Formats: sequence, structure tokens, C-alpha cells
Amino acid sequence: MNTPGIAHSPILWLAVFGVFVVIAVQSVVYLRAAKRAAPAAEMSHGELVAAFRTGAVSALGPSLAVVFVAISLLSVFGTPAVLARIGLIGSAAFETLSARTAAETAGVELGGAGYDNAAFALVLFTMSVGGAAWMVSTLIFTPLLRRTDDRIRALNPAIMAIVPSAAMIAAFSYLGLDEMQKSRTHLVTFVTGAAAMLGLQLAGARLKVRWLKEWSLGIAMVVALTAAGITL
Amino acid sequence: MSTTAPIDLFHRTTSRWGRATMLAALVISLAGPTYLMFGLGYWPGWGPVLQAWLSIAAVFAVIWIAEPITYYPMLGPAATYQAFMIGNISNKLLPSALAAQNVVGAKQGTAKAEITAVTAIVGAALVHLLSLLVFVGFLGSWIVATIPTSIQQVFEYVVPAIFGPVLIQAVMSAGQRRTVVIALLCGAAGVFVLVPLVSSASIYAMAVCAVASVTLSVLLRTKTESTAEEEKSEVAV
Repeated sequence: MNTPGIAHSPILWLAVFGVFVVIAVQSVVYLRAAKRAAPAAEMSHGELVAAFRTGAVSALGPSLAVVFVAISLLSVFGTPAVLARIGLIGSAAFETLSARTAAETAGVELGGAGYDNAAFALVLFTMSVGGAAWMVSTLIFTPLLRRTDDRIRALNPAIMAIVPSAAMIAAFSYLGLDEMQKSRTHLVTFVTGAAAMLGLQLAGARLKVRWLKEWSLGIAMVVALTAAGITL
Repeated sequence: MSTTAPIDLFHRTTSRWGRATMLAALVISLAGPTYLMFGLGYWPGWGPVLQAWLSIAAVFAVIWIAEPITYYPMLGPAATYQAFMIGNISNKLLPSALAAQNVVGAKQGTAKAEITAVTAIVGAALVHLLSLLVFVGFLGSWIVATIPTSIQQVFEYVVPAIFGPVLIQAVMSAGQRRTVVIALLCGAAGVFVLVPLVSSASIYAMAVCAVASVTLSVLLRTKTESTAEEEKSEVAV
């Protein structure tokens, strides 16, 4: 498989570095804002640290999964494009689909004959403009939704206590049932993961050990993946 | 006033910086390909560019609009800006946020839940950036050669392995049992009714389920139990 020469252009590396920096800046600003607001939300410093650690630990498994997908696409898109598009901003599913569509438009196959600099430029351009649409839509809708959110809270605060759970449970039961249908291994993995989490939650409530709760998502995932490995 | 002022400041800071950083990422992510097109002269003309864009827009336009609206109620304004820049929302950031809310016992919809989500996502982003930098940026294909294929194969099932535990956490963090039942039914209706009837709906079915669930849960919420009293007392404050 051939990687077009311009896929490793220094300008693309510079852009990757830029996105890394922007995310780092955002993270620092957000963390400081959270720290300053925590006491007013009746949140201790210890709880902030626990939240940070739980977020980090829970992201280990999913991050490793993204790494595997990203590495498998290195030869097609080159390292900078993979880091920027698959790793950050986008998702593997969207990016590969839009890349294939763009390549088809140019009459070539990704990584195949005729996949040259010009084809790569079109592919990366299409992925990036498509990814930009998400950001534009987020920039437009978030302030509008916030205004609605504020108005509802002012009228009836109890409603906003229901809304996040209603949306999340519906979303994850849809996504979960959709996954379960795919194969027997998917079904076993999903059910084992759910059962492991249920057990960990009950154990955590009984034993009152915080680290068990912090690691519960990570542990449940490992148990589920082990079940997947046995079923395979 | 003294208790809400810091929270207001938190919202102002995160909104302003959230928008600014997202705008910066937007410009930088477009700068690379624009340079290839015009700086190096690979612009193929409007024909292929529009054709490629229109064919992906035909599939994704609904998601572009539906996703920010669907995830907003789950994440809140501050975390929404984080999430749409880092990506992998349903399979990484949302699970991380929910797990953290579970650990600190933050009730959904409160300022504590929002601050917890933001902090957890920063933690998740750090792990994500580091793992990309080290494993993809530096080690790259060496990793693929080192890790046995059987383990890599297992990682193809990471999505159901996340969704199973996360669904349990989402259910356990819910305040009202009625909400749980309604939401589970809405998700099931999406998979077993909506998508089989309208096959093209699979792209936006999750958003439909979430909107239906929110609407029904709000309309049918239990008002007679303790929540009604909480409602009154909170309004009175």
C-alpha cells in the first residue's frame, strides 16, 4: 500500500500540533474554572481529584481501542492526518466513510492505484470540511440550547433533573440493543459487561471503597472483553 | 447570590473559552487541507469537491444537526464544547463523565454534576492525547507487530463492552424510576420498531429515541411523590 508523499507534509504536522495545543489550553482553562466553582457546588477538592482520576481511568480502554484503529489506517492517511482526523475531532467511522466517498469521486480506491497526492488532498479536504460541520453546528446550537435550558430551569428546576437521565438511558439502550443484535459475541460482551458493572456497583455500595467505584468501568470492560475473547 | 455567582462565572468562562477554542480548532483543522489544495496546487476544481461533499452531506447532514442537540442535555453547555472537539463522545467521554458522577454522587442536572463531567472529560482527554502521542505518533506500526492479533481482535468488541456497563451506570444514576422505564422502552422501540420500519432511520434513530424519551419523561413525571415537594421547595428558594 502506498502513502502519498504529501501525507507527511510538515504543514500537516504543524496543524496536528496546533490542535493538540488548543485542546490542552481548553483543558487547563476548564480545569481551573471547575476548581474555582467547586466549593459553590458543594464539591470538595478530594471529589474533584476523584472525578479527574475516574475520567482518566475510564478512558484507558476506549483510548487503546482508538489507537488500534488509528494504527491500522496509518498507511492510508499518513501519521498527521490519522492523529488529527481519527484521533481527535472525528470518529473512525465517519472519517473512513467520507474518505472512501471522496476517493470514489476522484475515481480511485483508498491506498490503491492512482491514490496520489491530488487524490489525498481531496480526501483530506472532504474529511476536514465534513468534520468542521459538527463544530459549526455545535457553535450555533449550544448557545441556543443554553438559553432554553436556563428558561426551563427558571420555570421548573425539577425538569432539568430528569432530562439528562432520560436522554442518556434512551441513547445507551438504543446503542446497546443495536450492538447486541450484531452477533452472539456482541451479545455476550454487552451482557457480561452490564452484569459485571451491576456486581461492582453493589460491592462498592456495600464495602464503601472509593477506588472500586473509580475503576468500575475499567474493570467491567476488561471482564466483558475477556468474555468476548472466550466466545470468539 | 453568594452561592450562585461562582457557578455563573464557571458558565461564562467555559462558554467563552469553549467557543474560542472550538473556533481555533475549526480554523486549524481546515488550514492543513487548504494548504494542500491552494499552497501546493492540488485543487481539483469545484466539480469533485462539491460532489464529494454533497455525497457525505446526504448521509451525515442529519447527524451534524442532531448530535449537538442530542448530547447537550446529557453533557451541559461546558462539556459540549469539550466533547465535540475531542470526539468519541458516546464510547469514551460520556462514559467517563457518568462514571465520575457516580463516584462523587452528583445528582443529574445539578451544578456538581456539570463540574464533575467537565473535570472527568479533562482527565479522559489527557489519557487520550498521551496514548495517541505515544502509541500512534511515536511507536506507530511497531505496536501492531508487538501485540498479538488475538488481543487486537478482542478490541473489536470494545463498543459493546463499554455500552453494557454504561447503561447500568446511567440507570443507577437516574432519579426517577419512571424515567428509567420510559427511556429503556424508547431505546428498545428505536431498535425493534423504528429502524426495521424505516431502514434509513438508523442514522438518526438514537436522536429520535432521546428526544422521545425526554418528552415522555417530562410529561409523565411523578409529581405526587417527594419530587413534587422538592420541586416546590426549590422554586420557593
